[in-house]
Amino acid sequence: MEMPAPNAAVLSKKAKIVARLQAVLPPSAVIHEEAETRAYECDALSAYRCPPLAAVLPSSTEEVSAVLKICHEEGVPVVPRGSGTSLAGGALPTADSVILGVARLNDVIETDYENRVIKVQTGRTNLSVTGAVEEEDFFYAPDPSSQLACAIAGNIAMNSGGAHCLKYGVTTNNLLGVTLVMMDGTITELGGAHLDAGGLDLLGLICGSEGQLGVVTEATLRILRKPEGARPVLMGFDSAEIAGACVSDIIKAGVLPVAIEYMDKKVIDVVENYAQAGYPTCEALLIVEVEGAPAEIDEQLGLITQIARKHNPVELRESTSSEEAAKIWLGRKSAFGAMGQLNDYMCLDGTIPVSSLPYVLRRIGELSAEHGLEVGNVFHAGDGNMHPLILFDANKPGDLETCEALGADILRLCVEVGGCLTGEHGVGIEKRDLMNDQFAPDDLENQMAVKDVFDPTWLLNPAKVFPLAVSERRRALAIAAE
Amino acid sequence: MQTTFTPEQLTDPGTKRSNEILRTCVHCGFCTATCPTYQVLGDELDSPRGRIYLIKDMLENERVPDDKTVKHIDRCLSCLACMSTCPSGVHYMHLVDHAREYIEQKYKRSWSDRALRWILAQILPYPTRFRLALLGAKIGRPFAFLMPDARLKAMLEMAPKTIPPVSRNDDPQTFAPQAPKKMRVALMTGCAQKALNTDINDATIRLLRRLGAEVVVAEGAGCCGALTHHMGKTKESHATAAKNIRAWHKEMEGEGLDAIVINTSGCGTTVKDYGHMFRNEPLAKEAAAVAGIAKDISEVLIDLLPKDAPELTAVNFSPCDMTVAYHAACSLQHGQQIKTYPKDLLKRAGFKVVEPADSHLCCGSAGTYNLMQPEISKQLKQRKVDTLEAKNPDLIAAGNIGCMMQIGGGTDIPIVHTVELLDWATGGPQPPAMTVEGKRTPEVPILR
Amino acid sequence: MTPNSEAELADAIASAKTPLRIMGGGTRPVGNPVAGEVLSTSGLSGIELYEPGALTIVAKAGTPVDEIEAALSKENQRLAFEPMDHRSLLGTNGTPTIGGIVAANVSGPRRVQSGACRDHMLGVRFVDGTGTILKNGGRVMKNVTGYDLVKLLTGSYGTLGVLTEVSLKVLPKTDTQATLMIHGLDFPQAVKAMSAALGSPYEVSAAAHMPDMGDGAVTMLRIEGFEQSVAYRAEQLANELATFGEITVETDAGKSAKIWTASRDVAGFENADGDVWRISVKPTDGATIAASLGADQLFMDWGGGLIWAVMPKGTDLRARMNGTPGHATLIRADEATRATLGTFHPELAPVAKISAGLRNKFDPKGILNPGLMT
Repeated sequence: MEMPAPNAAVLSKKAKIVARLQAVLPPSAVIHEEAETRAYECDALSAYRCPPLAAVLPSSTEEVSAVLKICHEEGVPVVPRGSGTSLAGGALPTADSVILGVARLNDVIETDYENRVIKVQTGRTNLSVTGAVEEEDFFYAPDPSSQLACAIAGNIAMNSGGAHCLKYGVTTNNLLGVTLVMMDGTITELGGAHLDAGGLDLLGLICGSEGQLGVVTEATLRILRKPEGARPVLMGFDSAEIAGACVSDIIKAGVLPVAIEYMDKKVIDVVENYAQAGYPTCEALLIVEVEGAPAEIDEQLGLITQIARKHNPVELRESTSSEEAAKIWLGRKSAFGAMGQLNDYMCLDGTIPVSSLPYVLRRIGELSAEHGLEVGNVFHAGDGNMHPLILFDANKPGDLETCEALGADILRLCVEVGGCLTGEHGVGIEKRDLMNDQFAPDDLENQMAVKDVFDPTWLLNPAKVFPLAVSERRRALAIAAE
Repeated sequence: MQTTFTPEQLTDPGTKRSNEILRTCVHCGFCTATCPTYQVLGDELDSPRGRIYLIKDMLENERVPDDKTVKHIDRCLSCLACMSTCPSGVHYMHLVDHAREYIEQKYKRSWSDRALRWILAQILPYPTRFRLALLGAKIGRPFAFLMPDARLKAMLEMAPKTIPPVSRNDDPQTFAPQAPKKMRVALMTGCAQKALNTDINDATIRLLRRLGAEVVVAEGAGCCGALTHHMGKTKESHATAAKNIRAWHKEMEGEGLDAIVINTSGCGTTVKDYGHMFRNEPLAKEAAAVAGIAKDISEVLIDLLPKDAPELTAVNFSPCDMTVAYHAACSLQHGQQIKTYPKDLLKRAGFKVVEPADSHLCCGSAGTYNLMQPEISKQLKQRKVDTLEAKNPDLIAAGNIGCMMQIGGGTDIPIVHTVELLDWATGGPQPPAMTVEGKRTPEVPILR
Repeated sequence: MTPNSEAELADAIASAKTPLRIMGGGTRPVGNPVAGEVLSTSGLSGIELYEPGALTIVAKAGTPVDEIEAALSKENQRLAFEPMDHRSLLGTNGTPTIGGIVAANVSGPRRVQSGACRDHMLGVRFVDGTGTILKNGGRVMKNVTGYDLVKLLTGSYGTLGVLTEVSLKVLPKTDTQATLMIHGLDFPQAVKAMSAALGSPYEVSAAAHMPDMGDGAVTMLRIEGFEQSVAYRAEQLANELATFGEITVETDAGKSAKIWTASRDVAGFENADGDVWRISVKPTDGATIAASLGADQLFMDWGGGLIWAVMPKGTDLRARMNGTPGHATLIRADEATRATLGTFHPELAPVAKISAGLRNKFDPKGILNPGLMT
């Protein structure tokens, strides 16, 4: 994975930069020795690593501003980092950059049930936001699988989704306001506890900007009342086509489930071995969950099972107790861990239009055979966000490269059928070069022009999102100007 | 993750095992969410993922451990919450144990560090020496403020106000059952616990006898080796562990044992790991056999006290809404994966059981951690005390002496061992810790 | 100018040297007055793609909203954000286009539960101020590939680019609906009741309050869904809110729908003689402000978070907000007032700087609706 060469001028004044940072932060907040910077050399995409110049751990918005101001003045690139759970390499540094970790900003600032919002510092983990309001029976809806550990800051940067987003939307639909620190240290506010932007929707622009437009230190988030209950139903089908048709019919019938999860045979087999959840042996498995009061759930599930039966399921299993419900979900929730026990894997994240599901799965099977690596498919069927899991052996020379080639082909396929490269994980470094497959040069130029406005010096996470060749001129200008 | 050990390196069994463990880690970062030191410090280097990374680098490159690496690994509590959380099944405990051994062998600690660790290893596992030290600490406590080293200060402050007299129940002997015999068990009487609190073993013996167990305190058994094991002093820990293995195995081969009962969950985790610890040594078979029947007291009791057990109704015991906050010791919930038994037993006995928020987080005791890392330990202790007190309980129950000492020193709510409450509920005396000076004695009348 | 294709539109903009006034259906003259040649999108019309099973519709920007809603209705689907029809309030004629809806981020009462127009946007094609044809987003719901310019374009009132095609997420129509009405509440009590309703597990899809104007105040809560579900939830909600006051329930779906169409279009304000303002604040602040504004007429929506107010002509309503966080948009006033007070709420300095910078990038010649928003 190509990364820009580090700025020699910055490397040569490392001592000065570290000293300036140490002047505005407590000692434990500046990490600069080789033995320690190594731990910050990658996020959850551990195939690519590079120790940063230094890592800083500020504890307040003011400290974040002070750090950015110094880096701005010294021409040092900054890579923001939440919990480092990104699968796209979003927090991968270069040797001349400073990692700005927000893990120490993790307070709840205010909970406001009457107005149904919570304001938090963005280093707080996603699940602990729900944790802060669950005693009052509220929750924060976007629930990426990594929600136990991922930070709100990362959720905002990547516009994270999760299984619940079919009904409740993704981060951008649940984000009402932020405190934003710009690369030159300016602190400003966008939005708040009120709805809708008063002018241009800059809040919507910030969400999903992968830490390239500013550092978000505080966020006002929507909280929702927990539904009275939820129940899943499990369906097994003979083919992807049938499963896909069933999903389509359910949606057309006007039922809006809170989640529709899909697993293919490869994953079902692995998961059964690992978790013994009692899944049927079949080509495609769907787990559909609905919410509401018991009577409402019955009404919805009645409709869903009626539709499912029209498609001749191999198995149709409703849950009548919380134990049964847990068992239905057990396999799906341990899917990634189970695959990981088998082998190393790379988890992709493309989205496709739901109607092209059977075609895409067939093509993935063909590509998998061509490249010689196995692929298991897990995904959010309701919105077409796929997570093909490519199994490989990190210790076998050449396997990683083959894996990436296969991954790129699969993502191109997603674009080919009218979908996109990434539904939740973000571009990071992983899909940078594929951006040319999805966007025309003018489109990329247009997006980079937006970054020019927020960060004219191109110091914030400069090596992400855009293919290096495309962003080169701007990054070179930034270095020359310093 | 990808690892880069050479075939030569992998011929060492310790390295081979560590490589297996490192390969299972996918660097996902889930473990950071439940790591107490990461909660407090917010630094990747003080998270399990970061420590795994440091250990990997250290072992692959056969580095002489540097100060920073040692600092971060020393800060690990070995609470094993990460193992409960890890979706990939990384055996963090075995990895960090190996790393500590490596560091102990290859890293030259500062003089004061070495001296302190040596003193702890020489005193804590030996009850007589420990009692003397506690007496000395009791005398020296008023002068704690003069101590230059924060850790020595912490030690003096932690010394209990009263030191119990030696209990003869801890001597090698056999206790006959007081009901038709259901099983024969060995009770591990431990080391530090004996010196700090004799009520726990007394209550355990009474309860087991009452429920029909013949209880033997084996000749030659003593410290389980956990303390020295967690310092990386493998020679010492294996020496004391071997004594236990031989003593209990003798009983197994003699009159037979259904279980080895352990009422300090910190020790239980180590005894259950004897099989792995001794896998490449002559005592391997015996160690595995002993580890195979090691049980926490709650595991044994859950069988002896089913829901409608006559012993629970034989005595007219009604706690009348006495609220017990159950503190889940890390070694019990994460190390041994026992999460529900103690709560179920307390509920069966008639107590109202509540749990604090963030119950997965360590109280900061963690063996000798509260002595070696006083700043972090103090922060975790405060968090734990705050969440327990927020539930307004009459009592706090725990399954580990270390937690009891740590939490007890930060609250005036009485703290007792789970087994003491179960003993009381089935006919034993009221736990003495409930009516100790300086503690909030519950006002709820207890009907007997 | 009324180009008939995206390419023609692009050429028109590329060769323009003077300001352009972008026009969809011409039904929503909101914004500071813009002097310029009219560039109409009405020639770009037609649904390009509609997949009910995937909840997706793609249409050219000049497509009438009616056409889209008819197509959706046939499949029992709808635009869940319930866009307002401004014609009666603003006294305009014409046919609203979907592009206009998106350009102004027009939503309705259901916004409080289902999200605004911008939350249903999947993708856009547009032409910027240099005449370059651009796209962002796509036609799938989960899409984080590159920056989200779809959100930026939505609600930009044509000042960053002219929309040529939009992709939207649609949702199923609900089986039936009912409206709970609580009578006689003042502003603070009304907001409390609406907060209790919106904070309940009964999925209230709209919460509005009409203060007493002679007929008595009424707080309205809408429940939509399958028949049994609606009946159950209405009953539960009525029980929970019983302490607030007298509650009646409109169970006839048609009548209930009429209540909300009227609320959506602020029906009571057409003939009001004064300036119409649209204020967005957090609901509890809404209760306070409503009482202190000195409005001639007032209507509350979004649980108290949206206030429509008729003020004596020329009043600077923003001054009366006393720094309450949020914003006030001047929807209807004569040109002089709009020019003096400004349609849109003044922005914080750093935000204004960013907005200006973005306009400069997208429209360096400054010809797309210049001054409309600033």
